[in-house]
Amino acid sequence: MAMEKIARNIPASLWNEASEKLIDIVLNSPNASKMPSDLAKTILYYWQRDQLATEVGLQRLLEASALLEPEKTISLMEELGLSEIVVMLKESLKE
Amino acid sequence: MIEFGIEFVPRDLYWKTTFYAIQAEKIGFDYLWITDHFNNRNVYVSLAIVSAYTERIKFGPGVTNPYLVHPVVTAQAVATLNEVAPGRVVCGLGVGDRTTLQMVNTEQTKPLATIRESVRIIREIASGRTLEMQGEIFKVSGTKLNFKVANPIPVFIGAQGPKMLALAAEIGDGVLINASHPGDVENAVKFVCEGAERAGKKLEDLSISAYTSFSIASDYEKALKAVVPVVAYIVAGSPEMILEHHGISVDVASKIRDAIVHGQWKEAFSHVDNSMVEAFSICGTPKTCTEKIAKLVKVGVTQVVAGSPIGPNMRKSINMIAAEVFPHFKGMLEEREK
Repeated sequence: MAMEKIARNIPASLWNEASEKLIDIVLNSPNASKMPSDLAKTILYYWQRDQLATEVGLQRLLEASALLEPEKTISLMEELGLSEIVVMLKESLKE
Repeated sequence: MIEFGIEFVPRDLYWKTTFYAIQAEKIGFDYLWITDHFNNRNVYVSLAIVSAYTERIKFGPGVTNPYLVHPVVTAQAVATLNEVAPGRVVCGLGVGDRTTLQMVNTEQTKPLATIRESVRIIREIASGRTLEMQGEIFKVSGTKLNFKVANPIPVFIGAQGPKMLALAAEIGDGVLINASHPGDVENAVKFVCEGAERAGKKLEDLSISAYTSFSIASDYEKALKAVVPVVAYIVAGSPEMILEHHGISVDVASKIRDAIVHGQWKEAFSHVDNSMVEAFSICGTPKTCTEKIAKLVKVGVTQVVAGSPIGPNMRKSINMIAAEVFPHFKGMLEEREK
C-alpha cells in the first residue's frame, strides 16, 4: 500500500526517467536474488506491455528497488527532486 | 535478408534473462538463442519463460547436444515449446562444449554420425511421425510423441570443422557457424556451399549464421574486459587446426582448459591475449563491431548472432546494438530488396 501511495506522488513528467533509473538499479543490484519471483513476474508483465513507465509499473519497480537497494532508491528520489517521496520512502522502509 | 540473433547464457536469474529477451524483441532482434550447459539454468525452462513473455521473436536452444540429452528428449522439448509458441521455435543442435562435457567425463565421439542421426530423430519425432531406426549411434523402435505438432520445427546445426559444416548444410535448415573472424567464416561458407550442393539445395534456402562472441561498448577497454572470460572458453574448446591457423599456442589453450575444468578462473583468463580476442570475438566500439559485421555479411552470412557476453552492461549494450549497429544494416536490407 505504501508503494502505491508513493508511486502516485511521482509526477507524470518524471515517469520515464524514474522507470529507466529504477530498472537500472534493479538489474545491476548485487542483491538481485532477493527479488521475490511473483514481483519479478509482475514487472516482466508490465515490461512486455510497455507499462513500466506508468503509475502501476513504477509501484512495482519501487517495491523491487527499495527491497534490493533501499539507499540507492532514496538517492534516486533525491536526485529527481522528490523530497516528499524521500520522506515517505524512509518512513516506509522503517516499517 | 540480414537477420540478427542474440544469445543469452542462463547464468543469470531467470527474470533478468527474460527481461533482456523482451528488450531484444522490442528493439528488433529476429532470433533468440539460449545456451545449454548443465551448470547453468535449464535451457528449456528458460525458453518456456521467454516464450510466455514474448510474441514475435524466434527462439531455441543455442545449442543443445545429443551427448547429454537424447535426441528424442530434444524432439519432445521443442515440440512442446512449439505448442506454447507455434511457428517460433527453432532447434539448435551441435556437439556441445568440450570443456563442460569433460567435466562430466563425456566425450564427443563419432560427431558426424551422432549429429546426422540426431537430426533425423528430431525431425521425425518432432513432426509427430513414428520412427523406427537402427542407427550406428541411436536405436529407436516405434517411437512417437503422444501429441500432435502443428508445424515443422527448423533445425539449425552448430558447426566449426569442414565436415560438420558441410553436413549442417546438407541436413539442416540453418548452419550456426561457430566463428567470429570474417576469415574463418568465409572459409566456413565454402564448406557450407559444398554441403548444400551435395544435397541439391539452393544456398538461399539455408540460414547461414555467424554465431559470434560479441562485446560492444563505447569504451573499448570495457568491451574487452567483458569478453575475456568467453574467449577463454572458446579457446579452451577450439580444435587445434583453428588455434594454429590463428597462431595460438595449443599448449596455452590446454592450460586454459585445465584451469577452467578446475574452476581456476583467474588463471584461465590471465592467458587470454589480444590475438585470441581478435580471432574469436567481435569486440569493441559500435564502429568496430559494425565494420566486422559488415565483413561477415559480405562473405555470405544471413544471420549474425550476437553471442555472450553482448557487453559489459547487458541492457546498455543491447540498446547500443539497436541504436548504432542495426541502422547500418537496414540500409543493406533495403538495397537488396530493390
